[in-house]
Amino acid sequence: MNGAIGGDLLLNCTDMSVLERQRAHLKYFNPSFDSPLAGFFADSSMINGGEMDGYLATAGLNLPMIYGETTVEGDPRMSISPETTLGTGNFKKRKFDTETKDRNEKKKKMNREEVTEEEEEKSKITELNNGSPKSIKKMKNKAKKEENNCSNDSSKVTKELEKTDYIHVRARRGQATDSHSIAERVRREKISERMKFLQDLVPGCDKITGKAGMLDEIINYVQSLQRQIEFLSMKLAVVNPRPDFDMDDIFDKEVIVSTPMTVVPSPEMVHSGYSHEMVNSGYSNEMVNSGYHHVNPMQQAETSSDPLSCFNNGQAPSMWDSYVQNLYGSLGV
Amino acid sequence: MASADKLINTDVPEKDVFALHFLRSLSNLRTQNPLNSPDKSIDRVRKIKKAAYVSMARAAGGNSRLWSRALLRRAAKDDNKSVRFSRRKRKVTWKISSKRRRSNQRAPVVEEAAERLRNLVPGGGGMETSKLMEETAHYIKCLSMQVKVMQCLVDGLSQK
Repeated sequence: MNGAIGGDLLLNCTDMSVLERQRAHLKYFNPSFDSPLAGFFADSSMINGGEMDGYLATAGLNLPMIYGETTVEGDPRMSISPETTLGTGNFKKRKFDTETKDRNEKKKKMNREEVTEEEEEKSKITELNNGSPKSIKKMKNKAKKEENNCSNDSSKVTKELEKTDYIHVRARRGQATDSHSIAERVRREKISERMKFLQDLVPGCDKITGKAGMLDEIINYVQSLQRQIEFLSMKLAVVNPRPDFDMDDIFDKEVIVSTPMTVVPSPEMVHSGYSHEMVNSGYSNEMVNSGYHHVNPMQQAETSSDPLSCFNNGQAPSMWDSYVQNLYGSLGV
Repeated sequence: MASADKLINTDVPEKDVFALHFLRSLSNLRTQNPLNSPDKSIDRVRKIKKAAYVSMARAAGGNSRLWSRALLRRAAKDDNKSVRFSRRKRKVTWKISSKRRRSNQRAPVVEEAAERLRNLVPGGGGMETSKLMEETAHYIKCLSMQVKVMQCLVDGLSQK
């Protein structure tokens, strides 16, 4: 468990974001944590729920104290009281000033024995966390200078945390400690995280670095998808089933044609810089079909009894297939 | 792929769900306008396009997504007969982005791109940038699914 402390939670990455730290914290204390909604509230979470074994707990020090003294003002999402788990917490705003005032008051009520004990523990912690996140580094630096004050702070913070159980975010080294900017930084990290997610989604975005270019790419992609839908709807309007339509014929052909279609053209369409529509801007059937002719001869005898397998992708026919078949029949009516 | 990411939930139903909704809407169109009616092709195209979007929004989860909700609402406003849209019973509150936009601290590069995105994605006007990007991701997935379905259909119908 102690090893887990060093390796898992106190990740040795100096560029670990505030957000990630909080999330890792949450994960540590709630390993069975899999609600997507809670991920949003993972920006802050209750701390005291997890009792850490080892020497940290014996001193009554919880890990959160490492996170220091500054609270985030103005962002109510960042604080959740511990009684309510995972996201249904009471959102309280705390002013930075009142907190410091409280801290100063508590300073006077310090228990001397606690101080010495925590000093010991603090030094142990700082040794253990060599090269750990910046917050801890900062703590270590502080510890070197003023051992007493540091332990005072830690005990104060624990007391405070027991009382309020907020996540205290410590500003990174060399960055503004303004609570506004901390909240701002969290927001920026969220945005970049989502952008990374979008980057995986949009094809051809790995080469592009920088938010602006990627966002442009994403916008282009959305526009091209919308244009594709418009184009296809035009085609559907043109290719109108006539009354003498032979539905069985359609089904067979559809199975043969569409099963390879679903696999091949989509990456083609997308990777060629959305040029598919450009080529077919004349909206003529011949041009489109000629693009796919090379695919057709390859798949000859791939009929299936299920006419809707093009949509099912070869899966077992589901219950509503008959219903859809009726719909299909009505299409020709 | 995306379902593994616990923090951002962008699961999209399978292709058949989209297919079902789209076919149903197409058949509805068919029953409304018999084949022989002298419809102008532009109107027909527009109707089909609208049916495509509405069915996509329904397949993607109806009221559960902001963009699908906005899309359905927009469609219901124009044409009350064919699109059924029920108001939510509970109030949906999300961050009011107008207040935030005044702040200069938001990265201007990101924000200007986000503005363009807001115009594209339905319902984007009332969203924070981070929420907007989430919705965009889901929207992109649904769009590509819908495109696949329509492509399948077109190919099937044109190959007779």
